[in-house]
This record gives sequence, structure tokens and C-alpha cells, in this order.
Amino acid sequence: MNQENGNSCPLPSCPDHYGTMPSCAGLSVPYVPFQQNAPKKYDQGEALSNGTLFPGLNLPFHLKAESSSVPSTPLSELQALEFVVLELGMYLDTHPDDTEAFTLFKQYAAMEKAAKAAYESKFGPLTKPAAATAERYNWLQEPWPWNYEQNEVK
Amino acid sequence: MFFYEKKLQFPVKIATPNPKLAAFIISQYGGPDGEVGAAMRYLSQRYAMPYAEAKGVLTDIGTEELGHMEMVAAIVHQLTRNLKANEIEGSPFAAYFVDHTTGIYPTAASGFPWSAGSMQSTGDVIADLTEDLAAEQKARLTYDNILRLSDDPDVNNAIRFLREREIVHFQRFGECLRLCKEKMDSKNVYFTNPAFDKASSARPKAQG
Repeated sequence: MNQENGNSCPLPSCPDHYGTMPSCAGLSVPYVPFQQNAPKKYDQGEALSNGTLFPGLNLPFHLKAESSSVPSTPLSELQALEFVVLELGMYLDTHPDDTEAFTLFKQYAAMEKAAKAAYESKFGPLTKPAAATAERYNWLQEPWPWNYEQNEVK
Repeated sequence: MFFYEKKLQFPVKIATPNPKLAAFIISQYGGPDGEVGAAMRYLSQRYAMPYAEAKGVLTDIGTEELGHMEMVAAIVHQLTRNLKANEIEGSPFAAYFVDHTTGIYPTAASGFPWSAGSMQSTGDVIADLTEDLAAEQKARLTYDNILRLSDDPDVNNAIRFLREREIVHFQRFGECLRLCKEKMDSKNVYFTNPAFDKASSARPKAQG
């Protein structure tokens, strides 16, 4: 059995923003607590807005700098789905046995795929192969992602 | 290989150009702890990694950092759009402007161009992953400092997102290090470098 993976925290009440450490550990090597399996999760909009899917890892800076919110657009809805797929994929790299996370990963990947196809049919290609499905070559159409206007149109 | 997706990871929508802020934020593009360096560090280190978890984490985080390079560049680009010469005179952006106009160039806010001297790829599992833990902390504090200096809510929204990503990456690198350590000599993780000493470390077992 993998001694390092925090599958089974001995404390039933171990809070979500805490993780597991080995009870007896070799010296002179760094230890970061292992995030426990089946951690609490935000929905996709909150996840994108907070920069993490996991409330337990949401550790903001003390300065509550005045901040605008994520605009509500078809693009940001797609970005939110894609963000959950990315965050879960990274979590699964170190928690491959978390079956709940893997199920969610599959669900979100399917939602993201469908949302991307719907977005591309309406607003133009996000990937080069999608540009091959149009009647004319539309890959070059403005705006590009770094343009301010990206947010105005979509 | 890599394909381009014609969108950002997170929306960047800066209503008000501000060359002074751009002069600070360019550091998270090409500064010593910026996103260019993060992507180069992780995507270079993965080749020597002997364990799948480390290959996976470095590939996934390194790829995300490429997306963060694009986000930081988009912030600087939007902060410097439609500027007039008289808005640049006397601004901290003036020195950058002389060399690069409003083009995006990987440099620190202090003017030092991006250098591979700000990163390492050692070919050693524990040394590289420990460097990566430090790299995430240095990037996190740079974003803290940008939040101290910025009063633009549109900039802060994207910077807060990028800052939080550093914290998540730190967690994953820490877990990855522990998973790697588990596969190494249990009494002395420094007994060999498993990326290099494969043959010689196998010999004692074969003989014994």
C-alpha cells in the first residue's frame, strides 16, 4: 500500500482544508500534507472565479483588493467547464484512485466537449481542425484572445 | 506536441489602460519568477523524471503555465492599448517603451531580460521538485505584491486567479514529491538518483 497517499485520514473529523501526513517520516525531505480523497468542490462558475475547484485550497491574500467579477458570457461559461476538467485532471495525477473525482472528470469532460462544439458553431473556431468544418477559412477572424474586444463580442 | 486553442484560460478584460501598472506586471511574464520561466522550468524538467506521476504533474502544470504566459501578456497588452506619447512620458513604462514600444517582451520589471539563469533543471527528482515548490511560492508572492500596487479591479480579478493557481500547483508538487519519495530507497532517499543510477543501484540487489 502506498504510505504517502492520504486516502484514509485517521481522524474522521479532519477538516477539508487539512491533509494527511505520515505518522513517522524520514528526515531531511520536504512534506506537504496530502489532500484527502473526495474533497469538497465548488461548481464550475465558483471554481473559475476562485481559481480553484477546491474550497480547502482556496487561500486568498489578506488584501481584499477591489476586484471585478468574471463576466457572464458564453466564452466564460466554456472557460469554467474547461477549468474544472484541468483542475480535476491535475488532482487525478496525484490521486488516481479517487473514483468519485474520476467520475466527475468524465462528466465535466463530456460537458466541455459539447459546450465547445456549440460555442464554435456559433462564434467560430477555437481549434484549427474546427476551422476545417466551416464554409470558408475563418480561423483569422477577429478578435484574438488577447484583444479587449474578445469580451465585447462574446 | 502542442495545439493552440484560440481562447484564454480566464477572461482578461481591462477597461482602463494604465502604463504604470503594465510596467510592474510585465515581471510576471519575463521576470525571474514569471510565467515564461515557470513553463520552461517544468516542461524541461519532465524528461529526466523516472516516475509517471512526476511526468504527468510537470506536463500538466507546465502546459497551464503556457496559458498563464498568454494571460499576463494579454493584461500588459490591454493596459497599454491606445496610449499617446504624453501618457507615457514620466511614467515608469517609459524605459520599457523606448526599447519595445507596446510590444510584449519577456523582461523583469527591473529591466533585466528573461534568462534561463533564473531556473534550473538538475536531472534529480528531489532537487527539481523542491525547486518547483520554491518557484510556486516566489510567483505567489510576486502576485501578492502586484495586488498591493494595483487599484484596478479588472487587473485584480485576473491576478487573484493567477495567484491562487500558484497555491494549487504548490500542493500538487508537494504531493508529487511524496509519491516519488515512496518509490525511492525507504531508509535513504539520497542513496541514488533514480533518473541516472538505474544500473548501479540494481546491482547490489542482484548480487544480494
